[in-house]
Amino acid sequence: MPQPITMVKRPDATGGEALYVEYCIMCHGPNGMGSGLLARRMDEGNLELRDNLTAEYVVTAARLGIGNMPSIPRGEVSDEDLQAIGEYLAAGPHGGGQ
Amino acid sequence: MAELRLPPDFTLQKLVQAQRAFESVLGANKVFFEELDRTSYLDKFAVNDEAHHPSGAIACESVEEVQAVVRIANQYRLPLFPIARGKNLGYGGTAPVLEGSVVLDLSRMKKIEFDEELGTVILEPGVGFYDLYDYVQRNNLPYWLSTPGNSWGSVMGNALDRGVGYTPYGEHTKNICGLEVVLPDGDLVRTGMGAFSNAPTWQAYPFGFGPGWDQMFVQSNFGVVTKMGMWMMPEPESLMGMDVEFDRPEDLKVMVDTIAPLRRERVLTQSPSIGNWMRAAAVLTRRTDWTDEPGALSDDVIDAIRKQFNIGWWGVSLRLYGREEVNKAAYKILEEAMGNAGPMAIKPTSWVKGQPLEYTGWTGTPMTFPMQNVNWYGGRGGHIGFSPIIEQDGDKALAQFQRTYARYQEWGVDYQGSFAFGERHLTNVNAMVFNKDDPDMMAKIDPFFRTLVADAKEQGYGEYRTHLDYMDLVADTYDFNNNALRRLNEKVKNALDPNGIIAPGKSGIWPRAFAGERGQ
Repeated sequence: MPQPITMVKRPDATGGEALYVEYCIMCHGPNGMGSGLLARRMDEGNLELRDNLTAEYVVTAARLGIGNMPSIPRGEVSDEDLQAIGEYLAAGPHGGGQ
Repeated sequence: MAELRLPPDFTLQKLVQAQRAFESVLGANKVFFEELDRTSYLDKFAVNDEAHHPSGAIACESVEEVQAVVRIANQYRLPLFPIARGKNLGYGGTAPVLEGSVVLDLSRMKKIEFDEELGTVILEPGVGFYDLYDYVQRNNLPYWLSTPGNSWGSVMGNALDRGVGYTPYGEHTKNICGLEVVLPDGDLVRTGMGAFSNAPTWQAYPFGFGPGWDQMFVQSNFGVVTKMGMWMMPEPESLMGMDVEFDRPEDLKVMVDTIAPLRRERVLTQSPSIGNWMRAAAVLTRRTDWTDEPGALSDDVIDAIRKQFNIGWWGVSLRLYGREEVNKAAYKILEEAMGNAGPMAIKPTSWVKGQPLEYTGWTGTPMTFPMQNVNWYGGRGGHIGFSPIIEQDGDKALAQFQRTYARYQEWGVDYQGSFAFGERHLTNVNAMVFNKDDPDMMAKIDPFFRTLVADAKEQGYGEYRTHLDYMDLVADTYDFNNNALRRLNEKVKNALDPNGIIAPGKSGIWPRAFAGERGQ
């Protein structure tokens, strides 16, 4: 199993990327539950490597939950922070810093 | 979407007033009463989608804010349901016991204070396993975490629900050393040596003076925990052990009887977990990869799964932690004992500081991939667990397995069971994975669960932890002297929380104010 990615492994991350590492990468990193289940349905299971995500889709999927992903409430991740995460993923693919 | 549900005997007008009061102390951006918010705080793995709807949520970022909202809740007699990170999936997650409660979301409180010499830490509720792991890595601290299979949640939240990991520090509730708690009247207390204002030993000595209160705030609704002291395991020089497979279901007896004395003697200091072939299959594959036959998996399919993964009917991993010379001596004992037990295969493993580390539960690495098991039946998956405490005895464990397995066959549910060692008990975790998009399956989960509870009750086996739906049912099984323990818990509850505003119904403890809700 690869080592989990946390902020110590992305020391230069700021903004949406830093928020993604703090709130999302536990399940959406290379060995996470989210990546594993997405890989069963699509070619690219790792969200950071996708080139077809929109911020709106990310925010909707996270807020409402989708498939096996539980919803992420505002108390945990604010609207502002979730928007920044969505914009970061929409600007993908992001290849570095694995 | 979830339309508004109010607590019993509550009005919309009062809720709006309470909401305004929360906004005045927290700011509107930490108060969440829209329909989207209610939906997002539902139990994602709910078996009954109609139960446990919150009326809204609030997020606190400091102890003072928690005290302020508790005072407001008292003023309006509005029930609050505190959550740490709300990732207690399979037990209710973010949702409250009592419909209409306001979720008190503590996930933004993320402070960590570490004592590097003693290996102790003070954590706020929002510190997740990944957050603590990052902190330890970043500061190069020579300590390992103990992580559960679902490490997405809060370290404190997990310990306060008696969650477990797999290292010698695996019984997380036992590592608690000192709490800070906001009581239901808004008062602030520190337990143990924390009650002594300038004691440097709050995380060193778990007891303090007089009655010990730490466990009173575990699985309870007597207060809102805002800080938890915890011991962490010093990084060992060596990690050594074996992964062992056994061929037949009946081998459970010899496995338990071989490992148990080693655990009681503390040759083994970690909590091995004996699990069946489903553990690997449900995480790595889907049921449709193997069969489309309905009912519980047939022996043919089980054989195919075992062959594919090269595993036994049961598997267990034993691990030794500590000085290399000590581990080498202990390993010889394990090798002889397990060899005599007649295993199918023994695979030794060993690591010494300086070598590349395995990133697994044995090394306290946080992980989420085990949750892939919710996709076993496809659809919107979920799971619920039935986990009684049984004797640490091979015959009893085998009987419990046979009884439970027969029920899984009868109800047509695929069996995922494990027997995890405490020092003198076994926790028999039985998972029921389900597909929320399969109405026939969903209709049988509740009656199946109740059957298992009743079977266990006959044997004297009670659950160690349960989902919101079953808190009353499980509390009822603890029935010595006409449920004397529940009476005691409720005397304490009513003394500490006369308005009954903190998590009414949690663990079957109902305050006077909401006593009519029991069993609803």
